[in-house]
Amino acid sequence: MSETPRPDDTPPGLYDETGNARFFADPAMDRFVAVVMNMAQELWVQEERLLALEEAKGAPPADRDAKLQAFITRIFAPIRGA
Amino acid sequence: MSVELQHGMKPELTAEEAARGRFVSGIRSLILNDLAADMKAAYDRRAAPAFARAHGRPPQTSSEAHKALRGDPAFNIYSAMRCQAQKMVWASVADSVAREADRLAAAANAAGGKVQLNPALAVPKNVGAIEVHLMPGSYTRGGDSVEAGAVYDRGLAVFSMGLMGANLDDIGLSMSRYIALKYPEFSPSRILDTGTTIGHNTLPWKQTYPGAEVIAIDAAPGGLVYGAARAAMQGQDVQFVQMCADKLDYPDASFDLVWSSMFLHELSKKQRAAALAEAHRVLRPGGLMLHMELPPNAEMSAFDGFYLDWDSWYNEEPYYKGYRDEIPQENCVKAGFAAADCFQFVVPSIGIYGEQAIADLVASEAAEAVGQATTGRLAEGVMWFGFGAWKR
Repeated sequence: MSETPRPDDTPPGLYDETGNARFFADPAMDRFVAVVMNMAQELWVQEERLLALEEAKGAPPADRDAKLQAFITRIFAPIRGA
Repeated sequence: MSVELQHGMKPELTAEEAARGRFVSGIRSLILNDLAADMKAAYDRRAAPAFARAHGRPPQTSSEAHKALRGDPAFNIYSAMRCQAQKMVWASVADSVAREADRLAAAANAAGGKVQLNPALAVPKNVGAIEVHLMPGSYTRGGDSVEAGAVYDRGLAVFSMGLMGANLDDIGLSMSRYIALKYPEFSPSRILDTGTTIGHNTLPWKQTYPGAEVIAIDAAPGGLVYGAARAAMQGQDVQFVQMCADKLDYPDASFDLVWSSMFLHELSKKQRAAALAEAHRVLRPGGLMLHMELPPNAEMSAFDGFYLDWDSWYNEEPYYKGYRDEIPQENCVKAGFAAADCFQFVVPSIGIYGEQAIADLVASEAAEAVGQATTGRLAEGVMWFGFGAWKR
């Protein structure tokens, strides 16, 4: 369990009662952001599984880093320019 | 961009684990490049003007930039996503480390690295009790097994997005190349790395000065066991010793170079002052103390200063801001060095900019200025900040 001291000039209200940082007016939003990121990650895992299957069936090797960048850009486009 | 480690303890990942790690590197790239730019734009357009209306002047310090940004939508989404991405870094490597524990232990044992542990050493709170950069179990996870080292090595490979090089040694490579070119007459025969963790930025010094005896210390045992094996697997003769930098068990005037990387900001103010004084004590006349660190707040804008200080509040780096509020040269003078013998510099990442960029920098003798957005910030185009002092 972390026993983190905080900087002297830490503003009030930065953390919830368990010590996790909170950013949104509704604390549920902080958790929801994490859920969305986890879901995107698991969707990408399935995407890589599909790529592997397609390659096993003769498709040319995919550039996974490039495909991932395009994937992340598409998924997270709505939060850009906040 | 994901990184594949370059030694015998690199993970044998399942397809799912590889995909998860790749995703975390990718989402961190979005956050640290694109969302960071969005936050800066929001600061300029919205947060700083609002602060100026309320206070009659724009934010002037890191803390004021923080105050201006709290509650801004761009700050909120950047911060919430960066926190979660950090947790995902460590989560993405935990399964493979657990599954491969026996293989890693056997490989480390067979590698025959040089390591000397001190079970009587009281591991400081900042090393074992604080989950530094949200790393579960901190540096003492798994005791003196290789677990903490494996988590750190694999986690850093995901975390770094390729910006620390394939062997995670870009800081050490860049800095050692700079010193070798800048001071060609300097030829250390005994080198000490303090706060080495797994020795990733120690090895470049052995490569730069192959005749030197190189010793790497840390307070946490697991990283040393792992680091010793990691060095041996790469054919590097480096000795790893469990010891605290603020209480060195070495005689006066026994080293030519005392080095650290990304270490001082994880110490309390008291520990940091003691570590610098110890470095001065163990250096021989003509020796060099050199630290790669975050650049000081005094040389950055309020926003750029806060951008780095963010970690102090939200990434379990409680000493980060206090360190960055200090002036490196003043710390060196307090440790016993003469002001005239102190220096600081910014060196381009050798992996991004290439060796010639460092040579050009040395030739131009223009290495004094602390840049702004790219200095010390792990994002596209990163440059490393360093400071040091010669002992007369």
